[in-house]
Amino acid sequence: MSEYILELKGITKIFPGVKALNNVHFQLKPGEVHALMGENGAGKSTFIKVITGVHAAEEGQMFLEGKEVHFKGPRDASAAGIAAVYQHPTSYPELSVTENIFMGHEQMKNGMIQWKAMNQEAEKLLARLNADFKVTEEMGALSVAQQQMVEIAKALSTNAKIIILDEPTASLTQNESENLYRIVEALRDEGVSIIFISHRFEDMYRLASRVTVFRDSQYIGTYNVDEISNADLIKAMVGREISDMFPKPDVKIGKEMFRIEGLSRTGFFKNVSLNVHAGEIVGMTGLVGAGRTETIESVCGITKADSGKVFLDGKELHVKQPLDAIKEGIILLPEDRQRQGLIMSWGLGRNVTLPIQSETAKNGFNNEKKEREIAKQYLEEVDTKAVTIFDPATSLSGGNQQKVVVAKALAQKNMKLIIMDEPTKGVDVGAKAEIYAIMGELAKQGYGIIMISSEMPEILGMCDRIYVMCGGKITGCLDRGEASQEGILQLAMEKGGYDKKEEAAK
Amino acid sequence: MAGKSGRTIQAVPQNSAKKMIFSWEGALVVLFIALNIFNMIISPSYNITNILREMPKYLAEIFMLFGMAYILVLGDIDISVGSIVCLSATLACVASNAGLPMVLVIAVCLLVGTACGFINGIILTRFTELPAMIVTLATQIIFRGIAEILLGSGGSVSLKDTSGFNALAMKIGPVPLVFFLVVIAAVIFTVILAKTTFGRKLYAIGSNSTAAYYAGVKVQKVRLIVFTVTGLLAGLCALFLTSALFGANTTTGQGFEMDVIAMAVFGGIATTGGKGNLVGGIISAFIIVLLRIALGQINLNPQLILVIIGALLIIAVLIPGINNAIQAKRKMKSA
Amino acid sequence: MEKKSVWKKITGSREASLVIVLIVLCIIVEILNPTFLSPTNIGQIFRNNALTMIMALGMLCILLTGGIDISITSILAFSGMSVGMLLKYDILHNTFLLFLIAAAIGLVAGGLNGLIISKGKVTPIICTMGFMYIWRGLAYVMSNSAWASGEDVAGFSDFGKDGSIGPYVLLVLVYMIFFVMMKWSKFGRKIYAVGSNAEAARISGINVDRILTSAYAIMGLLAGICGALSVAIYASAQPNMQYGKEMDVIAACVIGGVSMSGGRGTVVGTFFGALIMAIIAKALPLVGIDSIAQNTVKGVIILAVVLLNVITQRVMDKQNLERREM
Repeated sequence: MSEYILELKGITKIFPGVKALNNVHFQLKPGEVHALMGENGAGKSTFIKVITGVHAAEEGQMFLEGKEVHFKGPRDASAAGIAAVYQHPTSYPELSVTENIFMGHEQMKNGMIQWKAMNQEAEKLLARLNADFKVTEEMGALSVAQQQMVEIAKALSTNAKIIILDEPTASLTQNESENLYRIVEALRDEGVSIIFISHRFEDMYRLASRVTVFRDSQYIGTYNVDEISNADLIKAMVGREISDMFPKPDVKIGKEMFRIEGLSRTGFFKNVSLNVHAGEIVGMTGLVGAGRTETIESVCGITKADSGKVFLDGKELHVKQPLDAIKEGIILLPEDRQRQGLIMSWGLGRNVTLPIQSETAKNGFNNEKKEREIAKQYLEEVDTKAVTIFDPATSLSGGNQQKVVVAKALAQKNMKLIIMDEPTKGVDVGAKAEIYAIMGELAKQGYGIIMISSEMPEILGMCDRIYVMCGGKITGCLDRGEASQEGILQLAMEKGGYDKKEEAAK
Repeated sequence: MAGKSGRTIQAVPQNSAKKMIFSWEGALVVLFIALNIFNMIISPSYNITNILREMPKYLAEIFMLFGMAYILVLGDIDISVGSIVCLSATLACVASNAGLPMVLVIAVCLLVGTACGFINGIILTRFTELPAMIVTLATQIIFRGIAEILLGSGGSVSLKDTSGFNALAMKIGPVPLVFFLVVIAAVIFTVILAKTTFGRKLYAIGSNSTAAYYAGVKVQKVRLIVFTVTGLLAGLCALFLTSALFGANTTTGQGFEMDVIAMAVFGGIATTGGKGNLVGGIISAFIIVLLRIALGQINLNPQLILVIIGALLIIAVLIPGINNAIQAKRKMKSA
Repeated sequence: MEKKSVWKKITGSREASLVIVLIVLCIIVEILNPTFLSPTNIGQIFRNNALTMIMALGMLCILLTGGIDISITSILAFSGMSVGMLLKYDILHNTFLLFLIAAAIGLVAGGLNGLIISKGKVTPIICTMGFMYIWRGLAYVMSNSAWASGEDVAGFSDFGKDGSIGPYVLLVLVYMIFFVMMKWSKFGRKIYAVGSNAEAARISGINVDRILTSAYAIMGLLAGICGALSVAIYASAQPNMQYGKEMDVIAACVIGGVSMSGGRGTVVGTFFGALIMAIIAKALPLVGIDSIAQNTVKGVIILAVVLLNVITQRVMDKQNLERREM
């Protein structure tokens, strides 16, 4: 028997044009909770998919209890006792909890599914997890936290020896996270080995005994949690001193140019007020689901707010659809590049000129020549790594795709306020620095900038002021001088809204 | 803040003649010629005079191709067009028989079609959760159902006074009026799709409606316009169909939705949206019309013609999949 | 919380609300026409709607996967005409064998749909639209646009004639098989899984293509059997038989609570949906709506139910959000 229940050596995984994993290692001891950390795009999710057999690695070996294994598909991994709970539950929303738990390994007798036995078994599993819902409920009617419990119960039902949790606390409230911690601890005590992926240091300190860090698709190291300092861990994850990375220029902050007053949308955000000055970079941070993106989407006309006012240059705006916001000069770089930001099957040039095609057109006819010139100009300005403006967006890396989105924004001449939602998500380090440089340049030119981000380093490194949101409300606004990682986290976790009231109700 | 690396990006489009010949449209032209030779072999009466004489009743359908092509490029579908034709034609006949002047009859016919298309569009844009397939499946039954009610137990209506419609069936020289109108419409719709900002919006929506919306395209407005115009075109089709058949019945326009979808798909327009152009669609429309004329001339069972068009449709939709499979295999081999 | 459970009970159990609708409908019709609930009349309703009821089960499978099949009545016509021709030209008279042949024809036709849709990645509506014309056309071509008369199919039609228990036995049998299959067999649940979340199904090792193909093959099989049954019940075989009735089948499913986006629907719901459709058809003339308006009413019902589902969903979503806000 090996010391490790699971060991991976020299794993390399290549996607067209990208090395998603480059010679990474990983060792999991029986009965431990092992945190896997790294920035977005560091390769954590790909690594998990290699372990669970969803992706086959080009190079490397994998040992389970000392024996080398080759998984051909997710079924092999599950048969070997490995189960994964993904960030977005991969469930069947229309089916019952019991069915979700037992899909693929139903209890059968004479060719008939044994519903009664399965329901009882599912109840037992849920009781182990302290769940507060019935096994006959429809999966789609459950909250995200409850769905996660079902996924964990599913893992338990296959008698998994290794359970992988991919960012399980990302969209949970504090109470729900606490419950999850208890579950994970209970499982660990029963001898299950757990790989825990998270961005939250709190999760790691609370649960894990060891932590492995990936950066830029590479293995950086494995540390004992009680032996590594917070600063060292951040350095391992980010790979450089924060100050080098962020060329925040000194810009004279102008007068107020943008203001939101008491913006609310039922169920998403409540009474949000904030302002932006000319030349200022304003950060919006908080945990996933805090309502940052939703607030901004209402400002940009993608969804409608129920109440509240929006002012630009002192004039109240009445934005009903994205076009209205664009016409006023509010330009959004959306969070999901591939779904919201770009038409992936199109050439880069057409993507850049889509919002301005009517301005270049003559009598409704496209002025293709002028469009090509504009596209070329702005794509070169942001230094896109592409051969022609006709290359499809699919052919670029994440960072260069983001540059195309930036070029598309810059091409809009009337731009006043630029809103970047997670601008460096899934972007490689080199391109990140270039995007920060562009941001700094834009601030210098006097544009107002809002950056939504969950990544602490860039928020601290780039922003003049930082709004922190939690549970749909703004819980604080910090100046560049007074902001610290701890201070922001404190505000981001401050469940001013829901949890306290729930407790009071009890 | 010009790019630090000074990298330049090519912006000169490449127009190679080779590319054009080996395109899908090129293949269709070859097919078109081959079909004409085939037609001449099987049917001794396949000549220009006869073709021009028989053409009008088939040509009317092509109006709807333009609308359907737009709808498919949007990534939607409309299977109610055949029923819109039926309802428009029925009401046009009823209006004519009620003694309305021809101008008003034409107005009724076109308005009814437009209204039907508008109803489709309004439901689809107000209830964006619903796929067009389901909504137009329901309106398909409703529009024809209303025509059935109007037609009564006899199930058909004949024009009492055909003089007005005769004018529509007039010829300019040997060529019927409807042919000119189809050609004019073809040019207009092809140019709009290929050259204007509106056309670009259609492709944007069909390729990624979310990204198009974020970029400021009024997605729902565009959809509403396209569905409404398709209704208008169905009304236009009904008008010329009536001028060729001098009446309407419960089966008028039946299967037209398949015909025009087949024309579009065979012309290289993907049912998944965002791909294709009208040039291919128009060539394949004439391929299907000429095939129909020739097969009609040799007295082939009209039902068999439907079988052939159905088979053509299935083959056409299978081609992209097969093509992908072959290319994937080639990649595997070379890798 | 209390409010939620009441709300859930109503929307959660579609079957319960369907039964209520059914009872109310029956009472109304019984008042308008006191002979309505007589055993003979009820028997007639089942006999006249046996085809729709049986095919609705196949449509259930297909709608569960998120697809649609509008070629079913054409497959029915082709298999029915095959049976009619075999009888007309005295090639075969064995009732069982004729049913078997009809079923086999349907199975092949449905399987073809399934293969093209799953392997060829063709949109279901386009593929089945093509075959709708192909099979119907072939039914005409095969018979040279003639038909098999009552005399031609005499003997065979004993199976379905008024008073014969044949159609009822077949109906009960098929419903029993499907009731068990959809609820207690792995295959049945896999259909639900594929319709609910195809990607998740693939990850958990379900062969999605095979399930899709099977669903269409089952639909074809039932349509094939219904071809023979139709010849037996109506004692004739015509190329235009059951023309346009695929809409009845789809409507029955939709009324029965089967979601057109996949993953949701039951055999019991489908049964009640088909029954409600049948009774509405019966009731229309009684409330003064001409039978000629039946298609319009059907279309409006489909549209109304589909729109109602969307509106209900929107209201529920909004309530969920408001709950979150509290």
